[in-house]
Amino acid sequence: MQTRTEGIVLRSQKYGEADLIVTYLTSDKGIIRAFAKSPRKTKSRFGSSLEPLTHTRISLWGKEHSSMPKITQSDIINSFHQIRENYNDFVSLSKLSEIVLSLTPAEIPSKQIFSFFLNILHFITSSEEDQKDAQHLIAMVRLLATIGYAPRLSGCGKCGAEESYDFYPDSGTTLCAKCASTPLSPAKPFIRINNKVIHFYTHSIEWPINKSNRLKPNDQTLLELSGVLDRHLSHLLSKKLRSSEFIAGACQ
Amino acid sequence: MSGNVVENLIEELTRLPGIGKKTAQRLAFFIMGMPDKDALSMADAIITLKQKARFCRQCFNITEDELCSICRNSSRDRSKICVIEEPSNLIVIENTKIFNGLYHVLLGALSPIDGITPERLKIEELIKRVKAGGVSEVIIATNPNTKGETTAQYLSQVLKPLGVKLSRIAYGLPIGGDIEFADEVTLSKALEGRNEM
Repeated sequence: MQTRTEGIVLRSQKYGEADLIVTYLTSDKGIIRAFAKSPRKTKSRFGSSLEPLTHTRISLWGKEHSSMPKITQSDIINSFHQIRENYNDFVSLSKLSEIVLSLTPAEIPSKQIFSFFLNILHFITSSEEDQKDAQHLIAMVRLLATIGYAPRLSGCGKCGAEESYDFYPDSGTTLCAKCASTPLSPAKPFIRINNKVIHFYTHSIEWPINKSNRLKPNDQTLLELSGVLDRHLSHLLSKKLRSSEFIAGACQ
Repeated sequence: MSGNVVENLIEELTRLPGIGKKTAQRLAFFIMGMPDKDALSMADAIITLKQKARFCRQCFNITEDELCSICRNSSRDRSKICVIEEPSNLIVIENTKIFNGLYHVLLGALSPIDGITPERLKIEELIKRVKAGGVSEVIIATNPNTKGETTAQYLSQVLKPLGVKLSRIAYGLPIGGDIEFADEVTLSKALEGRNEM
């Protein structure tokens, strides 16, 4: 059966001699995997349409509910090649792709996540170079909020007390001293968060994305928030993201 | 018993890339029909490859000795290093007979989402070669795809401070193809990299 849809390539994996298995975030089918015959050959009709982060219109052929349909046609809507040609942009977007792949269930359609991811690609493409580090982090914060896994960083997540600056990755929230200390359980690891991080995080979620360039966090704020989000994700997934390890390794 | 022997060979052949069960069957019966000498010579070539092949100490090409034939060849231009992803790329570039310098095989390409970090590739060894001196140009010939491009950009970041000339192989249209079938990214790259006539 032939089906058509729109998708963003999240990942392309080599298969066999010249084939690819492509993972898409689609508008009406959620995350799907599809098989492309010989796209790695120089004269392939697929061209660059199966490269990561490309927004494409695809035709798939396969039995109904097939786990691996075949890609018969792939037309580029927007290549976003500027992102792939900028090392920092691509590494950062790879992390967002990995978050989507890790935290959203396969084949459950979500127009909201698809539209959001597409907006992020446009947003990063149009960002000023000197604001890229902040924009990458804003994109990650908003993605986590969109898919429902953003940590709570203001107030106590249990009793709602206003003042609370310690984030507990095990709980996915900041907790006040009273709620954090339960006499029967051993002390849990926490990260102390400063006020600037909380403000930047809150505004990242609440402000319209096209106005987020007004946020001017310093390097320390970015570093601290990035560390908090990585710890939060590691706890959620029970492992570190590969792209986080890549970024940490490349910085050394 | 004889059935098992043929089935075993078919099973082994299907492990090869691009070989399905039917092709494996065809190959197995072709091998069975070959003269003993030719079949044994083929088997011997596989055994010798697995026993003797290793990576060149300098460029990580496949060789039987400590240094590969290209690194040993004194007539090659030692001031130019062509960086490639896999040893199979070297054979294709050598077939062009245009490049007379040395190579450096990275044994892969960077991929954040797959966790392929710079430490897993032979990048540190390339930096050491350039730092050792005598290299005036590094040609980055990684694949023209996202992983290859990411690797090229990373190499540019780590090699530029060493003061060596860096170049990237051109993007463009394959000879023999029609422009109407080219995708927009390939065509825009071909236009950007146009040459004066």
